[in-house]
Amino acid sequence: MTITAIPRRTLRGWKSHRRWVMPLAGLAVIVFFVAPYVVMLLDALRPSGEVLATPPTFFPKTWTADAFVQVVSDPAFQNWLKTSLIVALSATAIVIVVAIPAAYFTARFRFRGRVLFLGLVVVTQMFAPTSLVVGIYREFYDLGLINTYTALILTDAAFNIAFALWILQGFFAAIPKDIEGAAALDGCGRVGTMFRIMLPLTLPGVVTAVTFTFIAAWNEYVVALTLIQDDALKPLTVGISSYVTAYQQNWAQLFAASLIAIVPVVILFALIEKHLVGGLTAGAIK
Amino acid sequence: MKKSLRLGAVVASVAVPTLALASCSSTGGTTSGSTSGVSSIKVVIAEYSKDHTKTFWDAFARKYQKTTGVKLNLQIINWNDLDQQSSTMVQTGNVPDILNENAYASYAADGLLYNSDEVLPAETKADIIPAFVKSGTYKGKFYGMPDLSSARALFYNTDLFTKAGIAKPPTTWDEFTAAAKKVTALGNGAVGYAQPLGPEEAQAEFAIWLFNNGGDFKKNGKWTLNSAANVKTLEYMKGLSVTDKVTQNNPGSTNRTDGAFSLFEQGKAGMVVGFSPLQGALGTQYPGVKYAIAPMPSGNKAAPQTYGVTDYLMSFKKKGNESAVKAFYKLYYSPTEINTWIKAEGFLPVTTTGLKQFGSDPKLKVYLDTLPNIHLTPTDDPEWDKIKGTIAQNIGLAIAPNGDPKKFLDDLQAQAEAGK
Amino acid sequence: MVGGRLRRRSRDSGTASIAEALLWLGPALILIIGVVLYPAITLVATSFGRYSITGLRSGDAGVSNYVGFLTSPDLPRVVGNTGVWVVAVVVLTIATSLALAQFLSKSFFGRRFVRWAVIVPWAAALVISSQLFRLIYDYYHGILNQLLLALHVIRKPIDWLGDPHFTMISMVLVGVFVSIPFTAYLFVAGLNGIPADVYEAARIDGGRPWQIYRQITLPLLRPAILIGVVLNMIYVFNSFPIIWILNGSNPGFGNDTMITYMYKLAFRSAQHDVGLSAAAGVFNVIVILIAVAVYLRFVNWRESSDA
Repeated sequence: MTITAIPRRTLRGWKSHRRWVMPLAGLAVIVFFVAPYVVMLLDALRPSGEVLATPPTFFPKTWTADAFVQVVSDPAFQNWLKTSLIVALSATAIVIVVAIPAAYFTARFRFRGRVLFLGLVVVTQMFAPTSLVVGIYREFYDLGLINTYTALILTDAAFNIAFALWILQGFFAAIPKDIEGAAALDGCGRVGTMFRIMLPLTLPGVVTAVTFTFIAAWNEYVVALTLIQDDALKPLTVGISSYVTAYQQNWAQLFAASLIAIVPVVILFALIEKHLVGGLTAGAIK
Repeated sequence: MKKSLRLGAVVASVAVPTLALASCSSTGGTTSGSTSGVSSIKVVIAEYSKDHTKTFWDAFARKYQKTTGVKLNLQIINWNDLDQQSSTMVQTGNVPDILNENAYASYAADGLLYNSDEVLPAETKADIIPAFVKSGTYKGKFYGMPDLSSARALFYNTDLFTKAGIAKPPTTWDEFTAAAKKVTALGNGAVGYAQPLGPEEAQAEFAIWLFNNGGDFKKNGKWTLNSAANVKTLEYMKGLSVTDKVTQNNPGSTNRTDGAFSLFEQGKAGMVVGFSPLQGALGTQYPGVKYAIAPMPSGNKAAPQTYGVTDYLMSFKKKGNESAVKAFYKLYYSPTEINTWIKAEGFLPVTTTGLKQFGSDPKLKVYLDTLPNIHLTPTDDPEWDKIKGTIAQNIGLAIAPNGDPKKFLDDLQAQAEAGK
Repeated sequence: MVGGRLRRRSRDSGTASIAEALLWLGPALILIIGVVLYPAITLVATSFGRYSITGLRSGDAGVSNYVGFLTSPDLPRVVGNTGVWVVAVVVLTIATSLALAQFLSKSFFGRRFVRWAVIVPWAAALVISSQLFRLIYDYYHGILNQLLLALHVIRKPIDWLGDPHFTMISMVLVGVFVSIPFTAYLFVAGLNGIPADVYEAARIDGGRPWQIYRQITLPLLRPAILIGVVLNMIYVFNSFPIIWILNGSNPGFGNDTMITYMYKLAFRSAQHDVGLSAAAGVFNVIVILIAVAVYLRFVNWRESSDA
């Protein structure tokens, strides 16, 4: 933990208070960010008919986990979860594999069309997915990929490359050239340099890109809605919209399903979170 | 739209999908077979409920495939996204064979649809309730085959009525206002009338009230959106919240599903205009609410009018799909299929056979009696598809405290006439 | 755009041929061009077409869709809303996230749990979070009014989503809430890119914490802030579900931003026209492009990234 190794400010008393002030502040932050989802959880733990109770009560009048049981045992829900996992993981893998070389290369080399390429990357981010759906549909229809995971994976990957590229490029660019030179002296080629020397230094960037891409793919709605026909192939976001329709409202199930959908993201993040710190340390640069 | 433009549209519309389909048929879901027709059809269904829609249509698809040998590719889309999705399909020339929507006339006007002469068995057409055939008929041809129907009636909370000392449901607008005042006076969050005029479905709420004041959207082929009766109706509706203060807070920003209905379901609203799915929810999720159903009160001392709605199962002209589409309708309109689904979703029948079959259900009697004389909106005019959108989106502004009902309706009339 | 900044750097390893560049960038290019650029061209083509309400193309429209869109009486209001929405959400998000990132990069007992908690609003699908906030804000069955009444902060319930005084602010708060996690983690990553010896040197020089933050941390964080602002501008501008759902009960176009307005033009308006909507879509991209360019010019981004 590099930052913490730094001598702290000298304000008297702060050091001794810090031990409990910081965790308390942390608790406040937790409460702030999780509170709405606690409301969601409490809504998932009551009968759907009670969710819109007027006036509302914070805790359920009738506690029931039926919604969770129903959702988890619903084969349709299991299919949606499967699709979301496959699509989000694949798209994330593609983004990382495709963006790392591109980011490294654009950060390190000058070539004709570089500005054009980077400009293209930024501008493509500016289109609202809703406005592109028609074109995407037409394209995948012509390719015969309507109603396939492939179409969703490719779309999610394409839409998130720009961010990954941008953030990784910043990290690559920040690495001093002499590190690379040393690697070259040690006999690493360009590819070897990238993987063995540069990549570990950009790990916080990779973690950010992975998190970003996974979440974006996990929560994508409008493209999946348009490209997927079979219920069994729908991702979670599209599938769970069926819990609440204009004629039947299963609020508890909607919220139970939504909460379950958050879990894989938090688990993924928990697994890679520690790399958000300490990738690029002073020691490595010295 | 000018006449000549529309003719152009029709010509283009026939050409575009045919071309697109001819070129894409090998890659898309609908592979063209030989002369015997297609090997699969794509059916896009609107999601009425998670519990029943998919269950029914999955079983239907299996049966269809078994009897015809043609595969039925089913896509279920929720109502919120259906307009966008169907538009995407039309824009890209990849229309489904069957589409379930709440409007058909624009598609018919664009020349995209089969009419009943082409795909509907004669005995099936004869079985459909004439009012629905009429509303599904565009320029003399029947395109809008109804999948199910619903009718609206006044739901009132009998507990609140008893507490407020109201003996019987109101039959006139004066009685209605008086009853709503009494319920509101009960306090404790009681609302006399839950009035949904937010963008979700406001055109329905407006239609119900204006039909019961001798008004209509269109009469004898002419738009009558700003008729004196309609202006008076909208002013009365505005008065309920602005002067009488007998509605919930901010009716112009209240949707039906999670607003007006939920107030009634929570036992807070004295009255709401409801339909059979609300009855279903009250029975299963809100058994504590005691209520009864009555015809709408009348503003002009005439017999009550029942507002009705149908959704449609329309079929798109595609090369070689005629017999497959015909088989679809034949199976769908067989009493065991259509009525099973309608019953499951809690809606009303669209066929004479269905009327008889449902007649035994006392809960539905109040609607069934009115069904043959049901009052529908001008769904047979493509312009209505836009008008209803404008009403839904903007009527809430017209009934706000600073709103101007007459100006709103005048503008609407101008919009409708300009569209001609 | 971004390339310019790097071109000046002394850290470039050298030049490369286009062929080699294509090898390294090829996959990314194929995906971006294939899946994003092609549909974008379709969008532009659509904006010049005349469409019926069903989505059927009936001919060329020339520039009439653009004219129709730009002369629409609701446009000034919608543009104003968009400005308020984007500026408010981005400014509040960046400010809060800077503080939060600073906090999250400190070491303290339980930090790991705090980090997990902060990810939650980002992990939840926006559509669902928006639904949730719609329930929380509701005049009749919302828990927020209930809470504020119980705490005697307000004396009668507020119509957070229906009262024009509160609608935009209510939506902005949700926008900020869901944008903070992403931005904060971007900054955490940025903070961890700052070498510790820089701080040590500053401290030896006797810098006070606030001085160190302003004179050392912030400038070194500028590249990350730059990315954070630009991306948030784009995402907040293009944000659809929050406004669509929280404003879903309100009539007219009084609280719409350009993105929801674009959607309504196609499917929920008197026009009901996908050609018009496509023109709005193209216009939107131009607006955000200009906004980003103006911002980059304003902060003088070339100088900012020489850290």
